[in-house]
Amino acid sequence: MFYGEWNNDGFFRELLTVTPETKNNARELWLKKVRRPKEIDEMIDDNTILVRRTLRSGQKIHFDGNVVIVGDVNPGAEIVASGHIIVLGTLRGVVHAGASGDEQAAVLAFRLQPTQLRIANHITRPPDDESTGPEQPEIARIKDNVVTIEVFQSSDRSGNLI
Amino acid sequence: MSEIIVVTSGKGGVGKTTTTANLGTGLASFGHKVVLVDADIGLRNLDVVMGLENRIVYDITDVTEGHCRLRQALIKDKRYEGLFLLPAAQTKDKTAVSPDQMKKLCADLAQEFEYVLIDCPAGIEQGFRNAIAGAQKAIVVTTPEVAAVRDADRVIGLLEAAELRNPALIINRIRPKMVRHGDMMGIEDIIDILAVDLLGVVPEDEQVVISTNRGEAVVCDERSRSGQAYRNIVRRIKGEAVPMMNLDDSGIFSRLRRIIGLR
Repeated sequence: MFYGEWNNDGFFRELLTVTPETKNNARELWLKKVRRPKEIDEMIDDNTILVRRTLRSGQKIHFDGNVVIVGDVNPGAEIVASGHIIVLGTLRGVVHAGASGDEQAAVLAFRLQPTQLRIANHITRPPDDESTGPEQPEIARIKDNVVTIEVFQSSDRSGNLI
Repeated sequence: MSEIIVVTSGKGGVGKTTTTANLGTGLASFGHKVVLVDADIGLRNLDVVMGLENRIVYDITDVTEGHCRLRQALIKDKRYEGLFLLPAAQTKDKTAVSPDQMKKLCADLAQEFEYVLIDCPAGIEQGFRNAIAGAQKAIVVTTPEVAAVRDADRVIGLLEAAELRNPALIINRIRPKMVRHGDMMGIEDIIDILAVDLLGVVPEDEQVVISTNRGEAVVCDERSRSGQAYRNIVRRIKGEAVPMMNLDDSGIFSRLRRIIGLR
């Protein structure tokens, strides 16, 4: 059960977590406990965390699910996730997507410059010459059993983006 | 017969990591089997200085906690066959390893390597106690500053208390010109206070910054004075008697020699 209400424009507003703080806030906003509509239920992936800060050296996120960082991931920081890792910023640290063996997991970053990038049981590192990648979002995923890095094409409507 | 040597200083920023990297690289360049152990858990740097950061998969705590075998955590140097690094963990703290675990680790490494060099963290707390636990010898690094010498003195006392007697001293970042003008402590002043054997003196050198940022060791730079100083120290560690380098580079002859490339 979640807290929520329908807006006048037909949009469903809800609070996703059920921590005591959320319950309090929901009560103050006069939100009622409602059952979530089925079509929204299908869109929701409970297994994602949003981190709204820059990860600095020595900071580590270990999560069973997807991780979204709004900020940078600095060298010496580490993210280990069983799902996808998305960095809305510059990724310079170590990331491990699909850490429990999911070869479909992807790593996406506005600037993909990781110290080391791992997906499932593949480990890669950038070449030793100091060439930096393109100044645009890139996505890393396993294709034909190799970790492949490509420019992220959000216009590609062929299906799931990641 | 292998040697387990800890590089320590008490004060931070005097050049422990740079010294460890250069001595290790120098020993390896003579064909020795060398392993560098980064004991600075939580603030690891040695991997960055060695340019090996992006190769790290397992670290020292993975070894002590049994997540991997020692062999798996060792990172081979880019340049020298016989040089390896055991990196510290970055996302843990000093309490992740105990002195007893360090002792065992050092003993295991000594089975396979001729030189085990341990890069000690700054301070005298648990990180320091871990770093010195498995060592047989100690190198104390200091700079010609009152605070650094004071801390070195404290550390020498602690080393002696831990049965690491008669550590060898490296004076780092000395500026001969300032010493001559009486603006900086001289080698004799420092030895007077610390009363330990001098292993070497490394002059202040911009080249150190340049090579460190590149992940290379200045000891490989044939032309730099600090590289020469480190090479001399390496030979002294190997047991050779190498005279102290003449740091006075202001004389007309040394200037001339420099100009024609003979320094």
